[in-house]
Amino acid sequence: MLIAVLGMDQHEVGAVTAAQLLRDAGVEVIYLGRFQLPQHVVRTAVDENVDVVGLSAHSWEYRDYLPEVLDGLRAAGAAVPVVVGGSILTARDAAELARLGVAATFGSGSTPAQIIATIRALASAPAGGT
Amino acid sequence: MADRQDTPLATESGIPLAPVYRPGTPDESYRTRLGDPGEYPFTRGVRPPGAGRHAWIQRELSGEGDARRTNAQLRRLLAHGQTGLDVIGDAPTQAMVDPDHPYARHAVGTQGVSLCRHQDWLELYDDIPLDRLTLSHSLPPLMCVPNLVAVARARGIDPATIRGSVVQAPYFAEDNGYAVHMPFALRERMAVDTIAFTTEHMPRFHTFLEDTYFVSDGVLDAVEEMALGFVEIRGLVRQLLARGLDIDAFAPRIAILVNCSMDLFETVAKIRATRRLFARMLREEFGATDPRSWAVTIAAHTSGFSLTGQQPVNNVVRGTVQALALVLAGVQAMEVSAFDEAYRTPSPEAHLVGLRTQQIVALESGVGRVADPLGGAWYVEALTDDLEQRIAAMVRDIEAQGTPAELSDRGWFRAVFARGMERYGRALTDGSLPKVGVNCFTVPEAEDVLLREVSETTIAPDRERIDAIRRWRATRDASRVVDALAALRAVADDRAANLTPATAAAYEAGASQGEIAGVLRESYGWPADPLGQRATGAGAVP
Repeated sequence: MLIAVLGMDQHEVGAVTAAQLLRDAGVEVIYLGRFQLPQHVVRTAVDENVDVVGLSAHSWEYRDYLPEVLDGLRAAGAAVPVVVGGSILTARDAAELARLGVAATFGSGSTPAQIIATIRALASAPAGGT
Repeated sequence: MADRQDTPLATESGIPLAPVYRPGTPDESYRTRLGDPGEYPFTRGVRPPGAGRHAWIQRELSGEGDARRTNAQLRRLLAHGQTGLDVIGDAPTQAMVDPDHPYARHAVGTQGVSLCRHQDWLELYDDIPLDRLTLSHSLPPLMCVPNLVAVARARGIDPATIRGSVVQAPYFAEDNGYAVHMPFALRERMAVDTIAFTTEHMPRFHTFLEDTYFVSDGVLDAVEEMALGFVEIRGLVRQLLARGLDIDAFAPRIAILVNCSMDLFETVAKIRATRRLFARMLREEFGATDPRSWAVTIAAHTSGFSLTGQQPVNNVVRGTVQALALVLAGVQAMEVSAFDEAYRTPSPEAHLVGLRTQQIVALESGVGRVADPLGGAWYVEALTDDLEQRIAAMVRDIEAQGTPAELSDRGWFRAVFARGMERYGRALTDGSLPKVGVNCFTVPEAEDVLLREVSETTIAPDRERIDAIRRWRATRDASRVVDALAALRAVADDRAANLTPATAAAYEAGASQGEIAGVLRESYGWPADPLGQRATGAGAVP
């Protein structure tokens, strides 16, 4: 999977922690890091043929960027599930993200087991399943 | 505010108190390891007993939208009894990126105030009594210092009378926190130049405010936090001495903005150990002879990372416990992180609770009546000794591995932060770090409703600000801006020159922070726009 932080969001603790957690669980993680724009995420997702795109959110920028990522992936013909994680995400945010087409949301209440199980399930689902 | 400074020092029941308590017969060990408050090695505090009752500066971290909106926020807090100001920039401002940069479009004014030009500073401090308050800034120092001087002059105030601070963390900013996309040498130079400039022109201002808060929160433990802080302090002191400055000219204005954790006694001991370590270092190693050079001012910010999104009301308790720790440790200023910080930039309600927390601790609890009230407790003194030794050992270890420039360039600091992030994540998930409402004593989400409405309200990006800056660029005298940036470039190319006056001139000529940063990056052989969205710095002025 791919993990990235969008725009000017400099907080990286969540993204690094999630990447490590998933690597420990045997998931191959491409960590794209901070200062990414939607087009960077889409390009890497397509070039690397990833199974899941993970976006870390510690600022509200994701709200504006997320539709661009989803549209970009669709336009590129890449039916890759997108997940969003971040301690700032509320239940209301999760509902809104689901409506937009996000496959899963992880907030501060998510456990490592939930995160790992969700990513594994998404990665093994047939392409186009979103 | 009902200040009881002039009433006799006594408990609630009228039992008279001394301003400080000490052993019956202070021995040599007391004098060398502790000393009275206000005396070397300042373990027990930097102020003489009785001088600091209720007197720490109470403020809340502020900034949202544009400068005018933040000005209104600052005035509200002052009306509620805040005794100092503390301004933080939004993410683009902190990164020295202008609001109309393509990367900034969804981040303007949401996590702090958007500032990029001289006019913003005039609006930020409009009608605020600059000469009667301390003005603290979590902002790029090379924007803060020249603009503060300009605002003071515009208001007819001598900049030399301005009090306050601006944070410095040049060695670590790129790796954890507010990356400005500049090489180490330039980051260090911006710090040294602004400190040297204010030493001469704003002698009451703390430009040398080592910020260990933002590099440590959620990442480093107490020993790592202070060890990295001391590595940076020592590095900058050596650079300033190499410039020919006298240690006693600038050392009295060195301050540290430390983190606070939920571990109350460790926080108290950390701050006491830091004061002693600093005093000995400045006196014995750097040869300072002015006692004010040995006494380090300590401000603190309660940990935002310790707060939880779950059951936000619990964060009020966390803020109170941490404020208590900081008063017991004897800090000179503090900010209490807002209870809604886990989700958002502080709401007015949460700001007020943070301020009220400080006021209640100050006026009702009486914990600040007596200086260093925990001094002499076996536990606290043993922990203070232990922390001092561990911090000093780690500083030696780091310095043995290379200069800060080498360590930064080869990713050594980055690795320390990465290890810390991982460690915290594991501690939280395996439950070894208890967090009420997160990994123990949780409640179903549907029942977690108290204060949720205010905690979850978001601040929209200030898109009008982006348009305003675009329009403003076109109204400038372009040749004046280009000339000022060219002059700045010439100064930047002379590595021995101080960047501050030419930067001040560029701001006054109408240059923006992003343009100034671009010129500096180019002088050091880096692209003007590190994010690859704009062609050049000076050449792109419309």
